[in-house]
Amino acid sequence: MRPLFCAVIVGAVAGVPARLSAEPASLAPQELARELDASLACELFGGGKLGGSAAALAPRASDATFLRRAWLDIVGDIPTPEHVIAFTLDSSADKRQRAVRALLADPQYGLNWARYWRDVILYRRIEERALIAANALEADLAQRLNDNIPWNRIAREFITATGDVRDNGVTAIIMAQEGRTEETTAETARIFLGMQFQCAQCHDHPYDRWKREQFHELAAFFPRIGVRPVQSATRRSFQVLASDRQFRIAKSDDGNRPMPEHMMPDLDDPAAPGTEMQPKFFLTGAKLPTGSLDHERREALAQWLTENEWFAVALVNRIWAELVGEGFYEPVDDIGPDRQARAPATLKLLADGFRASGHDVKWIIETICATEAYQRESRPRDEGPDRVPLAANTPQPLRADQLYNALLSALDATDEEPQRGQARAAYVGRGGSRRMQFGAIFGYDPSEPRDAIAASIPQALALMNSPTIAKALRADKPGMLASLLADIPSDDELTAELYLRMLSRQPTADELARACAYIAEVGDRAAAVEDLAWALVNSAEFRYRR
Amino acid sequence: MNRRLQHHAHISVHRGRVVARRDFLKQSAALGAAAGFWNLTEVIGASADELRSRGMACILLWMQGGPSQFETFSPKPGHAHGGETRAIATSVPGIEVAENLPCLAKQMNELAVIRSMTSKEGNHQRATYLLHHGYLPMASVKHPTLGANVADQFGAAGELPSFVQIGGRLPNSGGGGLLGVERDPLILQSASRPPQDTTPLVKADRFARRLELLDALQGDFAAAGGAQVVADQQKLVKRAADMIHSPQMEAFSLDREPEKVRAAYGPGEFAAGCLMARRLVERGVTFVEVSSRGWDTHQNNFELVRNLCGQIDRPAAQLIADLKQRGMLEKTLVIWMGEFGRTPQINPRGGRDHFPRAFSVALAGGGVRGGQVIGATNDAGTEVADRPVTVADLFRSVYHALGIDPDHENTSGIGRPIKLVDGGEVVQELFG
Repeated sequence: MRPLFCAVIVGAVAGVPARLSAEPASLAPQELARELDASLACELFGGGKLGGSAAALAPRASDATFLRRAWLDIVGDIPTPEHVIAFTLDSSADKRQRAVRALLADPQYGLNWARYWRDVILYRRIEERALIAANALEADLAQRLNDNIPWNRIAREFITATGDVRDNGVTAIIMAQEGRTEETTAETARIFLGMQFQCAQCHDHPYDRWKREQFHELAAFFPRIGVRPVQSATRRSFQVLASDRQFRIAKSDDGNRPMPEHMMPDLDDPAAPGTEMQPKFFLTGAKLPTGSLDHERREALAQWLTENEWFAVALVNRIWAELVGEGFYEPVDDIGPDRQARAPATLKLLADGFRASGHDVKWIIETICATEAYQRESRPRDEGPDRVPLAANTPQPLRADQLYNALLSALDATDEEPQRGQARAAYVGRGGSRRMQFGAIFGYDPSEPRDAIAASIPQALALMNSPTIAKALRADKPGMLASLLADIPSDDELTAELYLRMLSRQPTADELARACAYIAEVGDRAAAVEDLAWALVNSAEFRYRR
Repeated sequence: MNRRLQHHAHISVHRGRVVARRDFLKQSAALGAAAGFWNLTEVIGASADELRSRGMACILLWMQGGPSQFETFSPKPGHAHGGETRAIATSVPGIEVAENLPCLAKQMNELAVIRSMTSKEGNHQRATYLLHHGYLPMASVKHPTLGANVADQFGAAGELPSFVQIGGRLPNSGGGGLLGVERDPLILQSASRPPQDTTPLVKADRFARRLELLDALQGDFAAAGGAQVVADQQKLVKRAADMIHSPQMEAFSLDREPEKVRAAYGPGEFAAGCLMARRLVERGVTFVEVSSRGWDTHQNNFELVRNLCGQIDRPAAQLIADLKQRGMLEKTLVIWMGEFGRTPQINPRGGRDHFPRAFSVALAGGGVRGGQVIGATNDAGTEVADRPVTVADLFRSVYHALGIDPDHENTSGIGRPIKLVDGGEVVQELFG
């Protein structure tokens, strides 16, 4: 059976490029999802070289699990009890697909993923003041994602950006690296190609094929950029600038002022001017003459980079890893031709599909969400040597913004309007909006492998013992718990309501029995329900998406 | 690489033991030669257990903005660059410091002053990073800050966090970095308030009841792929609960100190921070940073530095005296520094600008031989004239004083080994 099955799949894989060239219109997400699952089955579970069997596959997750997962993954929030009930009662076969589409059409989708990318970019800042660009980055990118601007156009905007960092969010990558040529180069390669190229800044890459010259040739696309403070008495900001003027060599050039050409430092003589580098794209060898204008350099790089196959691979691998919990390549920003992908043919299908779709980000998310791989139950990553990769979804710790939204939804709380000056306040550590304070405690770099993300004591304390959350959980003040207590006389139903509200699912029989026994034992119903809500907020399940 | 909480305890213990064994072999040969040369800190790269049992700790007094060396530890009264600042005698004959530091002058016999610190970084953000990490910032490597590395090497400190930063978050001062958030500092906005979210909000019996309920309700997720996550969460919640209910939390209450002791440190936030640092170290905290802000004196340098010294001189001196009197100084390294020094030339606004080329750092305790000045600048203060000490040299010396192997390698997310210190030499005079 299996060899035949795989042969069919290999045929399908081989057939894809031909069909794409003949027919540029992209596949329907459901269609590609089926091909992906079949390809994965062949590569990983069907006697392929990674071994395993269909028996190792996790079963399809329940509707409630799926819905909470899709909400958190797509819009960064948890569904209301009404959404959970309506979804579980819906008997139509395509309800998961419809739910995913509806979520992708919601403006919260753009905001959620803009926050994800904000963290990808700003967690690698080498300059705390780069946080001043956070709000513009979040707003501008959210808009583009909601408008479904193709990913290659978004990348081009980031690579060619100039302007005030508080007005133009796509300046953020350059701002985060202070406009430094080499750092901006390394981050551009990391974010858009998924390649950690900066080892080659000082020496040939130790594991990959990249030579030191190739890094500095890439850096030669960025010598003419810089970052400087906006000269204004009333406005505190920075400007990403580019200059093609004839330059005086700056007295103490420390790497973040526009220079006519990029010089590769002489390692034996750091004081020497170094070697002038010609702009050359390391993956294809495409090059520009020295003396090219800044916009010519950055436009050319944007063009060549976004046309390259690794541009699509990096994006689909990242989104797959975020949604399924396990990437084809890990870490998601350390990929490349010298790395071994799990299920390379499946990855290729996905990347080719993404390119054929016109770099359509909503399309790729819809496609991945339609796969069995996404819709399976979760299993931990550390099951031991016999574990079959990608045979299950993986519990993911919520990012700070997801957790914050989940708390607001679960507790029926509202967020405060951010006020002027708070972006600044947050990075000097004196306040900032509640969301920013929360992010300072719960945030993490989303490019890091998720099993390397540890929880901290301040995080535990914030959920267990912060006056803000304690206040939202008071039953004796007008609010969510007080209304539920008044409206629902039955302990069973009240427990179920709390589970739906906090964890987006019904309690199990065992949980229901334990919760009701607890309420009875405590005697004070209001206090006991406060305790129950507290326990649910502090449960691991609340902080994860399963 | 699983760095989740449950494994943490194991890994750090294992790591400690493995390192201990390996280093023991490596060192036994070297030890013979070195025996008797170092007093307290002869073994480099000891295990966390050994380090902890030795009770070493570090207090960093951080002068944010770049303190003027001329108005503190390197006065130049005979030169125009010295400005109006006079020098005063100290408890050590032949060593003078600026008149702004009368109390520290009396502790000179405990202090080693390096007057020949030199660096190239004159930007606050990058220099603050450099003097906290020993490295310049890079997008590709999240270096752990000094305090995080020390906390990591020493392991957990009982119920209190092992790394505490007093005086609010300092931009670019770093955190756990690649060691993870559990090595981030616990940050206190002020020494006069308890840390955030640590005052129990419900009675202890109700809290215990809640914890039992929480444990009882985690089974479903545990059974559905979250077993490890749930176990980690339970440990974390327990640790957090233990911490806030710990009697050790009284370390954060300065009103437990006798009035006489508090008075000896003097008034002000920095004084409160120094006293709290001593209380924390007394209870096993391994690294405390106390910051003083406002040292970026581009204008009106002389008056500003006089006032700032007035805030830090007495508390810093009293901290050293107090540690000494309690027998803790030998095991507690105290570092006074900022991100760079200030220009010899006095600008038209009566200020001094950024000057990383030659500046001063002071050290006390932790096996450092006091009563000495290391290195010198020329008469004009424009260059290091003798014995330049780089940031790597300083960091190497700090780790060495604490008994930590400066060549210990952390591993970045992509498997790149990152030494605690890259290059540099231990400043041997500090310990001789």
